[in-house]
Amino acid sequence: MAEAATLPDQMAACEERLRTLTRVMTTKADIAQTPKDLVWTLNKAKLYRYKPVVDARQRHPVPLLLVFAVMNRPYILDLRPGNSFVEFMVGRGYDVYLLDWGCPGIEDKNLKFDDYALEYLPRAIRKIKAVSGSEEFSMLGWCIGAILSTIYAAMRPDNGLRNLLLLTAPLDFSNQQGLTFAKWVDEKYFDIDKVLDAFGNMPGEMIDYGARALKPVDNYVTSYCKLWDNLDDPRVVESWHAMNTWVTDNIPMAGATYRQLIVDLYRHNLLIKGEWVIGGEVLDLRRLRANLLTVIAQGDHITPPCQSEAILTKVSSSDKELYRIPGGHIGIMAGSSAYKTTWPHIDKWLSARSG
Amino acid sequence: MSEDANASGKSYDPFEPFREVRDAYLNTLSKAMIDAVNTEGYAEATGAMLDGYLTATKPFREALEKNMLQALQQLSLPSRQEVAALAERFTNMEMRLDDMDAKLDGIVKSLADEKKARSEAASRAGAAGSPVEAAPDQPKAASAAAGRARRAATPPDKPRR
Repeated sequence: MAEAATLPDQMAACEERLRTLTRVMTTKADIAQTPKDLVWTLNKAKLYRYKPVVDARQRHPVPLLLVFAVMNRPYILDLRPGNSFVEFMVGRGYDVYLLDWGCPGIEDKNLKFDDYALEYLPRAIRKIKAVSGSEEFSMLGWCIGAILSTIYAAMRPDNGLRNLLLLTAPLDFSNQQGLTFAKWVDEKYFDIDKVLDAFGNMPGEMIDYGARALKPVDNYVTSYCKLWDNLDDPRVVESWHAMNTWVTDNIPMAGATYRQLIVDLYRHNLLIKGEWVIGGEVLDLRRLRANLLTVIAQGDHITPPCQSEAILTKVSSSDKELYRIPGGHIGIMAGSSAYKTTWPHIDKWLSARSG
Repeated sequence: MSEDANASGKSYDPFEPFREVRDAYLNTLSKAMIDAVNTEGYAEATGAMLDGYLTATKPFREALEKNMLQALQQLSLPSRQEVAALAERFTNMEMRLDDMDAKLDGIVKSLADEKKARSEAASRAGAAGSPVEAAPDQPKAASAAAGRARRAATPPDKPRR
């Protein structure tokens, strides 16, 4: 039988816990470790190609482009070895590309969805085609990245997009009562002109506050309690550390893009109504014909399921599927069970359509 | 700390006795707060706070910007707006360079394809012993290569029909 811990032992253990706590609270974890090459840049945007690990003859011929939100770092898709969607997909034989929008400066405050979707994205895709040698490609858009992917897919339906995957896509804003964000940014309470006049771009800290304030106790208290409870478990600690590194690495959102998000989408729901003018043209979702997989997180507070369902009835795709997964906005892709649920489903759906 | 915990070598945790109570309390509080932030009242309050902050800081921001602008002018240095405008122009140039790069890649590829087609046609003709027989294939290959070059040169902001 093990001896009871003495007081000095207990003190030493407590000291070790405090040291671990200090480390994870004050340092950044080693994230985004999957080997990659930079293949294209434009302004702050960067396109990475992950080094293939599967023999060329066994790889899927259709490359996969990952498009994340413009106000968060995209390395959530490649969080850390063993818990990386990118690593998983590269291992499954996909030619994976990641588009990093970068951190907008004050000179980018006039960038709109139009610019991201019709100036940056097409050029990145052109580069992917040149590098991969494939005229067709698949695109996975997550969160705001799903809005950009949808715009591209509907506005450029003939440019080789074969498969479109939308994760927690905020596209339908009709259920105003179900959207906490919609209440907060109502024009009665939120003066967007005043905010953007003061800051130019929407500060990352304010966006982060908005996301955390949706579940204030969970994000400001419970998360830290859980960490304290598990300070002796390196697996939990390192996972928390990596996620905290990402959560606290905030970047601003270009002012004009933020204005469109609030005014055009949250307040007027123009996208799903078919009245949104992008690049001088009305965005018509009926022009979207790519194979479509929409993934919904059932416990998503940031993009509730009601925002991602209507797209299926609006597009012309003959091959479309709605996949619901228990979990939150980020957890379905970066949580500890993602490799057993979300990732295999995406792989299964995509591999059947990437031959 | 319990005897069992000591025996298993688990380190001392002052929160252990209170954990269940704490978790139950936090769970209840979490649900209450999620409901609380999803109200018009919360939206109005946060909107008013933000508005108050922006109104209160506006004179200071404007004064700082004005003084900074004057200082930069006196030092013959560009203002933030001027640097931002320059950066925008730089991005536009980058886009044009990117388009030119893609066009050049397309031209190089089409030339390589054309050269390959010619050499294949020549080798077929050599194998058949008559150079005349290879001639009809050559315009087709050259035309296909030119088509590829045209497609590569299409600007990405224009839909391809």
